[in-house]
Amino acid sequence: MGIFGSNFNAAHHAALEVAQKEGKFPLSVNRVTKEYLNGERVAVDDMSFDIKEHEVTAMIGPSGCGKTTVLRLMAGLEFPTRGNVESFGMPIKGPGPERGLVFQAYTSFPWLTVIENVQHGVAIQGFSKAEQRDRAEHYLKLVHLDDFANAYPDELSGGMKQRVAIARALAQDPQILLLDEPFGALDAQVTWEMEEMVVEICENTNKTIVLVTHDIQEAVYLADRIIFFTRQPGKIKEDMAMEFKQGQRFKRKEDLLSEPGYVEMEKRLYTMMREEIQGRIS
Amino acid sequence: MNENAQTESATGTASATGNGSAPIGQAPLFKPPREGFLELRGTVSRGQTIILGFLGVIALFLIWEVAHYLTPDYQQKFVPSVGQVTSKVFFLFAEKGYIADVAKSVYRIYLSFFVACLVAIPLGILMGSFIKMRALINPTVGGLRYLPAASFVPLLLVYFGPTDFAKMALLFLGCVFFLVALILDNIEAVPRALIESAQTMGAGRLHIIFRVTFRAAAPQILDSMRNMIAVSWTYLVIAEIVAATDGIGAVMMRGARFLHVDVIMGGILTIGVLGVLTDITFRVAAHFLFPHTHARR
Repeated sequence: MGIFGSNFNAAHHAALEVAQKEGKFPLSVNRVTKEYLNGERVAVDDMSFDIKEHEVTAMIGPSGCGKTTVLRLMAGLEFPTRGNVESFGMPIKGPGPERGLVFQAYTSFPWLTVIENVQHGVAIQGFSKAEQRDRAEHYLKLVHLDDFANAYPDELSGGMKQRVAIARALAQDPQILLLDEPFGALDAQVTWEMEEMVVEICENTNKTIVLVTHDIQEAVYLADRIIFFTRQPGKIKEDMAMEFKQGQRFKRKEDLLSEPGYVEMEKRLYTMMREEIQGRIS
Repeated sequence: MNENAQTESATGTASATGNGSAPIGQAPLFKPPREGFLELRGTVSRGQTIILGFLGVIALFLIWEVAHYLTPDYQQKFVPSVGQVTSKVFFLFAEKGYIADVAKSVYRIYLSFFVACLVAIPLGILMGSFIKMRALINPTVGGLRYLPAASFVPLLLVYFGPTDFAKMALLFLGCVFFLVALILDNIEAVPRALIESAQTMGAGRLHIIFRVTFRAAAPQILDSMRNMIAVSWTYLVIAEIVAATDGIGAVMMRGARFLHVDVIMGGILTIGVLGVLTDITFRVAAHFLFPHTHARR
């Protein structure tokens, strides 16, 4: 690990594995408050919850409810004003490769081809050229982009750019995949394809995923658990396990629609959303 | 009216079935309205670009030529024709060793600009990457932009005399502060999300500075350099006027002493041509260095 090397280190990695065996949570948010503008704006107010391993957790709520803030705290890109966020029992002191993040904005490096982009994250962690290549090819196949390996990101559609971002985040082999409204800039049909791809990825990799979204149907389709945030300041309004799905993941979104309990769940979420935005037109 | 509608629909069906029974070929090409010369945000083909570009140059020479013929005979030597100036330039190359002067000027421009880049790029990266460094350096360097480079001429003469070094120092001072400001802008324009995503991949500081921020800003930095070397060319004559023995500027000053307007104009023409060639060099370099900027969409 030279001067260009990463802040990823072997001791930390070993400690993570021990913590994992001890059954510590991949992420725990402990009494977190996040204030902006010297306390003038409270984005997150005394919030506590744990993220369970191999689960897909969706954080949902009206705009400005602090859901993206919480995700950025988990990524280590920002720090809480009070409380702390822990990953496998260790406080988060900055971003790290064990917590991969996919942004809403396109973040592929435009000067690298698709496959070089995916290799980049692997390279940072000091893996051999052959290993970089293997992993990049594997994850490009997983996101169905293997035909575009040598294209530049600017030649791709929005949906394909997000596939690159997902492949890149997966290739760094994170314990936790954080998704910050990853399909927010895509049109409805592409979003739908991408959602089904996420289900496929869950089947294939069994990653712990935290998803921020404002799309109720997307949350219900993808999540094993939905945490609903109140409008500013962000608190947990309700923490719901998607029990009606009985642990199933639906490869096709339309199969979810006929599942008993689905309509009730969605109706409940819409009602909650209406309560939050009632009388306050944003 | 009802009847009308019926007959219309009847003919409509008839023609439809007519087409339906013989679906050969494609529908006729649609002819969009012709695009005028002053079409708002219109299109231009590659051939048109070249032709129009040449027309512009020819127009300039035409105005020049007309000015020459409109000048009264006894003053005509102060407004020489295009032919006189170009033949003078050829004469200078053939008889007066003008090529050595041109080479000297090109050498001064490129060397001083290279040194300016060596200073400006690290400074820009440093300030663009570390906000405290920016707070430390930028007020000073930003302020220096307002000092007219020409006002350094007497100072440089006192310090270094009529040397090559003094000339290149002036060329350096003429562009370095602007270059720093432009490169700082280029670095700061790199989207924050690119840097943050590198951080979540586990990249360290130096990796992000050199392999993310700098790489992301590189095409724009080269563009800033292309714009600033043009400014360097504009300072060339000022740099070479004082106690100059060689260089394009010196040749022009010598011409001025003997009222050889054709030599002066020849010098201006040479600088113009060299400037355009420099610009083309930078564009070609950008084309090969950054293939992603012109990837097919």
